[in-house]
Amino acid sequence: MIRFEHTRFAYDKTPVIDDVSFTVAKGDFAALIGANGAGKSTITKLCNGLLKPQSGRVVLNGLDTKTTKTSLLAKTTGFLFQNPDRQICKNTIAEEILFGLEFVFDDEAKRKDQCQFVLEQFKFDGKRDPFSMSRGERQRIALASLLARDPQIMILDEPTTGLDYRECTQIMEMIAERNASGVTVLMVTHDMEITQDYAKHVLVLNQGKLLGDGDVADVMTNRAVLEAASVSPAQIPALAMRFGPAFTHVSTPEQMAERIARGCRA
Amino acid sequence: MMAGFLDYIPGTSFLHRLNPLTKLLFSLILCVSCFVTDLHLFILGLILLNLALGFYSGIARRSLRILSALIKFSIVLFIVQVLVIHDGTALFYLTKSMPITDLGVSFSLLFVMRLIAATMPLTLMLSVTQMSDLSNVLVEKLGIPFRYTFALTTAIRFIPVFAAEMGGIVEAQTARGVAFDTKNIFKKLTLLLPLCVPLLISSVKRIESGAISAELRGFNLRKRGSGYKQYGIQGIDILALAVVVVIFVLGILF
Ligand SMILES: Nc1ncnc2c1ncn2[C@@H]1O[C@H](COP(=O)(O)OP(=O)(O)OP(=O)(O)O)[C@@H](O)[C@H]1O
Ligand SMILES: [Mg+2]
Repeated sequence: MIRFEHTRFAYDKTPVIDDVSFTVAKGDFAALIGANGAGKSTITKLCNGLLKPQSGRVVLNGLDTKTTKTSLLAKTTGFLFQNPDRQICKNTIAEEILFGLEFVFDDEAKRKDQCQFVLEQFKFDGKRDPFSMSRGERQRIALASLLARDPQIMILDEPTTGLDYRECTQIMEMIAERNASGVTVLMVTHDMEITQDYAKHVLVLNQGKLLGDGDVADVMTNRAVLEAASVSPAQIPALAMRFGPAFTHVSTPEQMAERIARGCRA
Repeated sequence: MMAGFLDYIPGTSFLHRLNPLTKLLFSLILCVSCFVTDLHLFILGLILLNLALGFYSGIARRSLRILSALIKFSIVLFIVQVLVIHDGTALFYLTKSMPITDLGVSFSLLFVMRLIAATMPLTLMLSVTQMSDLSNVLVEKLGIPFRYTFALTTAIRFIPVFAAEMGGIVEAQTARGVAFDTKNIFKKLTLLLPLCVPLLISSVKRIESGAISAELRGFNLRKRGSGYKQYGIQGIDILALAVVVVIFVLGILF
């Protein structure tokens, strides 16, 4: 569970996060959307204690991030950075994944098992050098290293940016699978289709303030909020908005088909 | 944080208006002056002079920050030095085999004071000089090929960039559970070493893309006469150099 309580944060003088409160419950899948520079990455770093709030509180699994060591919070929290290169520091993929596991599992056999499992899941050759791979591939290595840790909470900063459609879908399916088994997910994304398809809960950030916080169907069909956050809605909700008031709260293809069928019958 | 320690602070003070070459010589001579003397008081004087120059050029806050960072670092160095030097007469004993000696204290003090007095003029100079001016004047007045001065000034400009990059890497590893939030400095250092790999990789990448983009913009065509800005020597340059040479000579005499 992640909870922000009237959180404020500034890197220097101008506030970057301004009185933000929200809760992401256990097992929830929240998408954090907003324009460039809105403060999304800052929110993610506040979540796991890399940054500490200047006022208000951030509570992670019942622990106040201000009074708990970041390295301790990291044991149960998986964090994927916008830039995967800062995380990768070993010469082979397998070593990289095993290094990340050292801080989570004391048992070496368990570590090897976990590593083997994700290597197979991602179809990686464990002996390859991460630095000779493409950016998209390194992004997947960073994610593999995170999933191997079996985190209870996953904080993902733009996990699919720069990946092709197939990679993107594969990665999202893996994340959704973990979410289905009870892992809490907070994901930053600019992709409204992904938000539409996978998230249950949407947080809209604009210039450090929380503009929207609610169900996907509610937020994704709220044109005012989406415009303020300079995102355009996904295709189905966009179409529904054009059809007018009879189509409010339509956000999935199934709902759309059902409404149209009803309209034709009437 | 290291970032921002070395970048240019605009101003119109006496120091700002000096010829970049004068600034370079001025700071180098100040730097060397603290190695030609063994007198603690003289070096203390140099440190105070640096501080005064910093205040006078309107970069007081930067000077104080640098000084306090250097002092923190020096305290650690001083303690290590005092513990390992056993020559001279013992002032007192920490344990039976670990004397603190008068020579040890005096030498260690001199050592850290020199460190401070030698670092300050260089940071001061970099704070009041624009990198492009420094590199232009080295090409124009000393005839050093542009590619070398460019390498030098780029290296200096990249220090804060690397510091920021290192900060990012430390952040990324902390998020994985590496205990960087420990108070133990030695433990922190051993944790830091393996992280030099991503730093190296990202630096090489940055340098490579910088080099390619410079080349695409005709970097190799640049000659000694290519700079359009003129850097004249004025009265204040002579004055500044005269003062610093006097300090240097005084250093040798004492
Ligand atoms: N280390 C830092 N020091 C100072 N200011 C920063 C720092 N990091 C971010 N900022 C500022 O904070 C604001 C929010 O940045 P943040 O990275 O959280 O945005 P973002 O929503 O993640 O943007 P993007 O979509 O581009 O990733 C920006 O105005 C940025 O300039
Ligand atoms: Mg971001």
